[in-house]
Amino acid sequence: MGSKLNQEGIMLFEQPFARVPYESYRKIFRTSQKNVERDLGGAQTTANDLVSRGPSGSLSPDEAVKSIDNMIGKVENLKRKLADLHETAGKPNQDVMRERLHHLATVETLQNTSQSEFSRWADIRLDRWLVDWCLRTGKEKSARSIAKEKGIETLVDIDLFSDIRRIEDALSRHSCVEALAWCSENKTALRKIKSTLEFDLRMQEYIELSRVRKTLEAISYSKKYLIAWHDTHIAQIRQLSALLAFPPNTACGPYKRLYDASRWKTLAKSFRLAIYNLNTLSSEPLLHLALYAGLSALKLPACFDHATKNVDCPVCDGESGAGSEPLGLGKLAKEVPYSHHANSTIVCRISGKIMDGDNMPMAFPNGQVYSTEALEDMASRNGGIVTCPRTNESCSFSALTKVFIS
Amino acid sequence: MDPLLKELTKLEKLTAGNGKGPSIAHSLDSLLLSLQAAKKAFLAGNCTEDDLRRLAQVVEAKKKEVDERQKEVYNVLSRFGKALDKKFPSPLPSYSDLFSSAPSVAALERTVALHLLRTGQFDVAETFLQESNVKIPGDLRIQFVELHQILKALRNQDIAPAIVWAKAHQEFLRSRNSPLEFYLHRSQYIRLLLSSHPPNPLPAISYANTNLRPFYKDHEVEFRRLMACVAFLPLSRLQTSIYKDLALPTLHFDLEPLFAKEYCASLGMSRQVPLRVVGDIGGGGALARIEKGRKVLGDRKGEWSQIDELPIEIPLPSENRYHSIFACLVSKEQSTDANPPMMMTCGHVISKDSLQKLNKSGGRSKCPYCPVETAVGSAKRLYL
Repeated sequence: MGSKLNQEGIMLFEQPFARVPYESYRKIFRTSQKNVERDLGGAQTTANDLVSRGPSGSLSPDEAVKSIDNMIGKVENLKRKLADLHETAGKPNQDVMRERLHHLATVETLQNTSQSEFSRWADIRLDRWLVDWCLRTGKEKSARSIAKEKGIETLVDIDLFSDIRRIEDALSRHSCVEALAWCSENKTALRKIKSTLEFDLRMQEYIELSRVRKTLEAISYSKKYLIAWHDTHIAQIRQLSALLAFPPNTACGPYKRLYDASRWKTLAKSFRLAIYNLNTLSSEPLLHLALYAGLSALKLPACFDHATKNVDCPVCDGESGAGSEPLGLGKLAKEVPYSHHANSTIVCRISGKIMDGDNMPMAFPNGQVYSTEALEDMASRNGGIVTCPRTNESCSFSALTKVFIS
Repeated sequence: MDPLLKELTKLEKLTAGNGKGPSIAHSLDSLLLSLQAAKKAFLAGNCTEDDLRRLAQVVEAKKKEVDERQKEVYNVLSRFGKALDKKFPSPLPSYSDLFSSAPSVAALERTVALHLLRTGQFDVAETFLQESNVKIPGDLRIQFVELHQILKALRNQDIAPAIVWAKAHQEFLRSRNSPLEFYLHRSQYIRLLLSSHPPNPLPAISYANTNLRPFYKDHEVEFRRLMACVAFLPLSRLQTSIYKDLALPTLHFDLEPLFAKEYCASLGMSRQVPLRVVGDIGGGGALARIEKGRKVLGDRKGEWSQIDELPIEIPLPSENRYHSIFACLVSKEQSTDANPPMMMTCGHVISKDSLQKLNKSGGRSKCPYCPVETAVGSAKRLYL
C-alpha cells in the first residue's frame, strides 16, 4: 500500500512557507541598516564637524562636550536599538525559519506515503492549509484556535495576515492612510514589481476631496502627490483634473465611474495582490489549489451517477444521501475538469479491490461484473450460489463467465 | 533543505556576534570608550586638534567595522535567497475566482466544518461555526461527539459502548458484511484469555459461549481458531504457535479505524478523511503535473480551467481508485452510457462503437484480440 512520495509535487506548495519568514527577516535587516546609517552616520558627521571647526578656534569646550555627548547618545541609542531588534524580531524570526526548514526537511527524508511519519506530516500540512484558508477568508479566531490546538503557531503566518486585515479593514472604512503607510514602507519592493498601488490610493484620496467639493485642496493634493507620476499616468492625471468640474452626482460615464464606491473594493483587491506578491504568497488559498488538483485527479462521470456512486470516494460526496445535490466536495468538484484515463481500471464493487490477472473480473449472466476473489468468497459461504448485490440476481458460481478486459 | 540550513546557521552565528571579526556590540562599546575618553579630555581642558582628528578616525573606523558586519549579514541573506530560488524554482499557479462563488464558499465551509467535527476538534469547530455561515444539524454534531466517545473508550480497552452501537445497527452492519461486532467480541475474548495468571480460560470460554456463538455461522474458521488457541496458553507459547496472530496487539488497535469506518459509513461518509485524501493527492504531485501539462501544451490564459477533461493522466495510488474505468483499447475512448463496454463471446471486451465498426457483412464482428467471431446481437453489455 502507499506510493512513492513526489517531492517536487510536495515542494511546489511550500515556497511561501519557506519564503515568508525570509522576507520578513530581510525587512528586519533593512531596519537595522537604516538605524546604523542614521546613528553612526550622524556621529560621523558630528566628528568631522568637530575636526573642521577645531583649527579655526571657533569651538568652545562647552560646545565640544555637547557634541560628544550627542555622539555618545547616538551610539548608545543604536546599541540598544540593535539589541532590541535582534531580541524581539531577529532572533524569533530566525527560529521560525529554522523550524520551517526542519519541517520541510522531515518530509524530504521520507520515501513512501504509507510511512506513519508522512501521515503525521500531512496532517500538519492540512492544518497549515486550513489556517491559511481561515486567515484569507476572515476567520481569524478559527485560525488562531487551530494553530493553538495543534501547536503550529510558528508554521503559520497569523501576524502577517492580521496586518493585511488591518489595512483592508481601513480600506473598507474608506481610509487610505494605513495602506499608504504600508506603500512607503515597501517603496523599493513595490517599484521593483511595477506596482501602481500607491498612485491608485493617491487617486482615490483625490477623488474623495473632489466628492466633497474641496476643489482647492484637491488641486494642491494633486500638485503634491499626483503630478510626480506624470511620466506614466498623464492620461489619468488629466482626467482627474477634469473631474473637479463634475459633481459627484454626474451622469457622465467616465466621471461617474471615478466616483463609484466599488473602486474601494478594487483598491482592497489590488492591495491584497500587492502584499501577497511581496511576500510570495499565492493569490489563492493553498487549500483551494490542493483541492483543485486533487478533485480533478479523482473526478469521474461515475461520481455523479447514483448507480455508480461510492461512499468512500471524496468526490461522490455521499453525505447528503441519495437523491439530493452534493453539498461539500462534490459541489466544489463541479468547478474542476474531469480526470483523464488512457487505461482501464476495474474496481470490484464488493471488495473495493482493483482487478488484475490474479483477481480476474467475472460477469453474471446479466452483465454485472465483480472480482473472482469476492465471488469465490461469497460462493464458499453460500454453498456455491452467488448473488449480485446490485440486482439481487442469484446463480451458481459455475454460471459466471470470465471477462478479459486486457 | 541542507544548503538553506547551512546559510541559516551562518546567519545565526553572525547575528549572535560569533562571526570572524569583532561583533557590532563590541565595536560600538569600544567606540563609546573612545568618546567618553575624549569627553574627559575636553572637560579637563587638554584636548588637542590631533586628538579630535584621531577621534574622527576612530568613529570612521568603527563605522567601517559595523558596516562590514552588516555586509556579511547581507551576503548571507542573499545567498539564502539564491538557495531558496534554487530549491523552489516554480511559483504557485494562480486560478482566479476558483471556488469563490457563494455556493462554492458554502460547500467548502461545510466541508471544513465536517472535517473538524469528524477529526474530533470540537472546540475549534465551535469557533469555526460561529465565524462562518455554515449550519450543521445538531444531531449530526452529536453523532460525531458519540463517535469520538466510543473511540476513546476503545482506546481505553472498553468495548461496551461500541457493542451497544453495533447492536443498534446490526441490520446495517450485516448488509455490509461487516465483521465489526464479531471482532469486538474477539478482542474482548482474547483479553480475558490472556489476563489471568496462571492461565484460567474459563471466564473467556463462558464469554465466548454467550457472545461469540451467534457468529459461528458467518465466521466458522476464525471461531474454531479462537477456541483452539486455548490449548496453546500461556501467552509466551501462544506467540510461537500457529495462532501467534491472535496474540498481536493490532487485533485490538485495529478496532478503532474499523469502528470509525463503519460509523462514518452509517452516516453516508467515506472511510478516509476526505479533505486529507483530496489534499494529499493535490499536494502530492497532481498540481505539479497539471502545471507541467499546462506548460507543455501551451495554455492560453484561462483556457485550461474552462475545459471539461484534463488532457493528461494523473496517476493515482490503488487505494484512491474508487470507480471502474473502461477505456476501449481499439478506440482509446472512455466508456459512457451511450458507448458502454461490450463483452464478445470470447470474453474480450471492447466498446460498443468499436464493436459496430468491426461489424463485417453478415452481422458478425471478429475480435481484435483473438480469432473468434461474435454475432452482433450476442455481445453482452457489462456493468463494471
